[in-house]
Amino acid sequence: MKGYRKYFGKKIIWFLITLVVAVILNFVLPRLMPNDPVAAITGKMAQGVTDASASQRIYEKYQEEFGTNKPMIEQFFIFVGNLFKGDLGTSFSQYPRKVSDILASSLGWTIALQLPAIIVGWLLGNLLGALAAYIRKGFDKVLLPMALFMSNIPAFGMAVIMLVLFAVKWKIAPTSGGYAYDMIPNFSWDFVKSVIAHYQLPFWSIVLISIGGQAVGMRSMSIYELNADYVKYARFLGIKDRKIVGYVFRNAMLPQVTGLAMSIGTMIGGALVAEIIFSYPGLGSTMFTAISGGDYPLISATTLIITLMVLVLSFLLDIIYGFIDPRVKAAQLD
Amino acid sequence: MKKFTALLLTAAITLTGMMSTVSVLAEDVQLPREETLYFGGQQWGTVNSYNPIGTNQNNAMATTPQLIGSRTLMFETLYMYNFLDGSLTPLLADGDFAWNDDLTEMTVKIKDAAKWSDGSDVTSADVIRTFDIGVEIANGVGTGYGPYIDSIEAVDDKTFVIKAAVTEDGVPVNPLKVNDFLSAVLIAQAGWIDAVCERNNNDPTAIMNDAAEDVVWSGPYTKYFDDDQKVVLIRDDNYWGQDASMWGKLPVPKYIAHTIYADNAATEVAFKAGEIDVDQQFLPNIQNTWLEEDLPISTYMEEAPYGVCLTMPTAWYNMNNPVLAENTALRKAIAIAVDYDTIIANAMTNQSPSFADVPRSLMNPTEGEQALYDHEAVADLQWAGNDIDGANALLDEAGLTDTDGDGWREYNGEKISLNAVCPNGWTDWMAAMEVVAAAGKNIGVEITTLFPEWDTVQTVFTNPNQTEYDIFMWSPDGAGPSMPWGRVRQFLDGDLAGIENNWTGNWGQYKNDRATEIVKQIPLTSDPEELKALYTEAIQIYLTEVPSFSLMYRPAVFHAVNESVWTNYPEEGDGRNIPPADCTDGYGIAALYDLELVG
Repeated sequence: MKGYRKYFGKKIIWFLITLVVAVILNFVLPRLMPNDPVAAITGKMAQGVTDASASQRIYEKYQEEFGTNKPMIEQFFIFVGNLFKGDLGTSFSQYPRKVSDILASSLGWTIALQLPAIIVGWLLGNLLGALAAYIRKGFDKVLLPMALFMSNIPAFGMAVIMLVLFAVKWKIAPTSGGYAYDMIPNFSWDFVKSVIAHYQLPFWSIVLISIGGQAVGMRSMSIYELNADYVKYARFLGIKDRKIVGYVFRNAMLPQVTGLAMSIGTMIGGALVAEIIFSYPGLGSTMFTAISGGDYPLISATTLIITLMVLVLSFLLDIIYGFIDPRVKAAQLD
Repeated sequence: MKKFTALLLTAAITLTGMMSTVSVLAEDVQLPREETLYFGGQQWGTVNSYNPIGTNQNNAMATTPQLIGSRTLMFETLYMYNFLDGSLTPLLADGDFAWNDDLTEMTVKIKDAAKWSDGSDVTSADVIRTFDIGVEIANGVGTGYGPYIDSIEAVDDKTFVIKAAVTEDGVPVNPLKVNDFLSAVLIAQAGWIDAVCERNNNDPTAIMNDAAEDVVWSGPYTKYFDDDQKVVLIRDDNYWGQDASMWGKLPVPKYIAHTIYADNAATEVAFKAGEIDVDQQFLPNIQNTWLEEDLPISTYMEEAPYGVCLTMPTAWYNMNNPVLAENTALRKAIAIAVDYDTIIANAMTNQSPSFADVPRSLMNPTEGEQALYDHEAVADLQWAGNDIDGANALLDEAGLTDTDGDGWREYNGEKISLNAVCPNGWTDWMAAMEVVAAAGKNIGVEITTLFPEWDTVQTVFTNPNQTEYDIFMWSPDGAGPSMPWGRVRQFLDGDLAGIENNWTGNWGQYKNDRATEIVKQIPLTSDPEELKALYTEAIQIYLTEVPSFSLMYRPAVFHAVNESVWTNYPEEGDGRNIPPADCTDGYGIAALYDLELVG
C-alpha cells in the first residue's frame, strides 16, 4: 500500500502544478489578444452620442467597472480571489450578465448533447473495430472504410451536409435551435418530442465523425491481441471462441478507455462547430461568441471548465490505471 | 446488454437534466403561427433585461433607442421618425411641437389618451424624470442629450418645455439634437424610476443593470417569455393606442417572437424556411429567393436596390500618415480610380444605387436629403469611378511618379505603400477593400488589405494618434432628425480631431477651418436657402479635399419579408408612406396595424 500512497502523492502534486499553470494560461492568453472589449462595449453604448467627451466618459466608466485600467498582475490576483469565491466575473459581450449565469444555462445543453454522442460514438466505433478485426469480410472491407471516410470529414462539413440534406432539402429535420421555434418550454410530451427532434442532427453529426477513429484503434488492438500467444494457447486448450473473444476485447479495450476519458474532457471544444451550425444553445456557441467578442471572462471560464474536466478525468484515469494495471504504477515510480 | 441499459440510463438522466433547466412560465406553450410575427436579425444573445433606462441592456425587441427611429413595441417615444420623408409623427405627443423664435425653447404636448400599463396617465413628469435620471446616472439619454438640453420643465400635466442648452453668447448649442430627443428617447414612468432608484440605493451602475422585472410600459406589447433561444412579447390588449386619437385599433399580431440564431447563415436558413417573417439582415442576391427559388419572399422595392439606402460605408484616409495628409492629389487619385460599379455589383449584389444614379456628396440617396444641396454647383467635382487615366494624370501632375522604375510611385524618394483595413468576416466590406487595393495597383500605388477582428479595428481607429491603418472602412450615421448635419459633421468636423476614444466621427483626423465652421453654423440656420448654400459649400470642400470617399450606399436597416403567413407589408408606392423599418422602428411600426393573414 505504501507504493500506492507514494504514487498518488506524486500524482496529486503534478495535478496541482498543472492546475496552477493552466489557470495562469487561462487568464493570460485571452488577454493577449489585440482587441479592447471595453472599447467594443463603449462603441455600442456610444452609438448616437454626438458629444465626443461623453463617449470618453463612457469608456472610462467601463474601464473602471471591469478593472481593465489596473495592471495585469493586479487583475490576475483579483481574478484568482474571485475564483475562490466562485465568482467568474461579468461577461463583456453579454454585459451585465454574470459568467456563471451564462455557463449555467448552456452547460446542461452541452452535456446532454455531447456526453451521449461521445459515448454512443465510442461504443459503435469499438463494436465496429472489434467486428472488423474478428469477422472481417464485409465489416473490414465496407463498413470500416466508410466510417473512416466519414471521420475524416471536418466537423463543420458533416454538420453542414446533414443540415442541407435533412433539414433544407428533405425537410425531415428542424434547421436549428434546441426546440421548435414556435414553442415555449414546458413539461409536455409535445415539447419533449420537439427537443428530441432537434437533438438528432447535432447528435448524429458528432457520432458519425467519431466512429471511424475509435474503430481503427480498436481494430488494430484486437488483431494484435487475437494473434497473441495466450489466445493460441487458449485455443489449444479448447476454450470456446466466445470466451476467448471476451478476453481479447477486454485487453484490447485498455487504451480505448483512455480515449474515452480524453474525448469527454475535450467535448466542449470538439463539437463546438455542430452547436454553432445548428444554433444549439450550448457551451460551444457560448465560447464562439465569447472569442469573437473578445470576452476575456467568458473565454477564461469556458477554457477553465475544459481544463478542469481534462485534468480531473486524466487524474482519475491515472489512479484507476494504478489499480487495474500495476505495471503503469511501477513504470511511473521508476 | 448491460452497456445498452447503461446507455439508455445515461440518455434518460441527461434528458431529465435538460428538462429541469427549462422553466415553465407562460400559459400558451405553442405560439399559434397565425397570431405570431417572427423576426430575425435583431436579437443576437439572451436578453439581459427590460430596463428602459439601462444603457447596458441588449433587449433588441423591447428597448432599442436609435436615431433612425426607436423601436416602440414596449416603450414609446414622443414622436415617430420616418426616414422616407424625415417627418415626425406624434406618438405619446399630441400634435406638432413648437420652437420659440431663437430656438432656445421647445413646447411639447402629451396626448390625453396616453396611459401606462398600470392605468395611470403619461405626464410631463415622466418625460422630465426620464431626462433627469439620464443625466444623474449618465446613461445613453444623459450622455447623448445632456450637452444639448439644459432642462425640461412642466407647464402642466400634459405640457412641457424643453430648454435647450445655450452657449455663452446665448445661442442654443444644437437645436437639431433636441429634435433627436423627441424621436429617439424611450420615455419611462417617473414612479417606476423612483422605485428602481430606491431599491438600488441610487447607485448609477446598479440602476442601469436592474433587470426591471416590475417595469411599467406604455407600448402595445410587453414581455411574455425569454430564454437562451428566443424572446417573445405579447400584445397588451389594454394598450392606450387603440384610442381614436392614436391608431384607433390594436396591432394585428398577438405575439412578437425572435428566435436567437447563432449567425447570419442560420438566420437565412430559417427565413427561407418560413420560420421568420421579417428579416433584418443582408442577403446577397435577394432577388434569387423569388426569381429562382420561388419563395414567397419580397422586399420594399421590387427592383434593385430593393431597399431604401440611408448610409454610405466609407473609406477614410488617415491624416496622421504624412503621405496622405500632404497629397490631396493622391487621395483624389485613389478615390477616382476605384471601380465602384464592381463593388456595388459584387459586394452589394446591386442592393445599392450606383454613383452614376446618385452622384456622390455628403447626402444619402433619399429625396429629402438630395434636395438639400445645389447639384449643378458640385457636378464638376463628382466622380463615378474607374477613371484610371484621370488618376494617373493627377498623380503625374503632382510629381508623384515612379522614379526608380519598380512600377510603384514614390513620394520624397520612398515608395508609396498603404494598407486598407476593414473588420474580418464583414464579407461585403472585405470585397470592397479588395477593389480599392486593385485600384491602387492600376495607378502604381501599393495598397495591401488587412482584416483584423472588428473590435480591434474600432479600438485602433478611435485612437486619434493611430498610424497603423492608412485607409479604413466605417459607416457614418444613416438617418434621423439631426441628419444630414450629423453626417456632415462626421465627415468634416475638425473639432473631433485629436479627441481620445472618439466614436463620434472624423476618424481620419481631417482638419479644415471653414468646414468646421459650417458644421457649427448648420444647426443654427433655419432659412432653407441659407441651409442649402451651407450644405453645398460643405460638399464642395469634401469633394475637393477628399478626406474620405464613400464606396457604396447601403440601407441602415435591412427589411425582407417572407409572406407565407402574413402579408400587406409596406411597399414602395403603396400610398401609406410607411418606411421599410422592419415593422418596428420609428413610423415603421405602423405596418403592424395593417398586417393581414395570407389566404
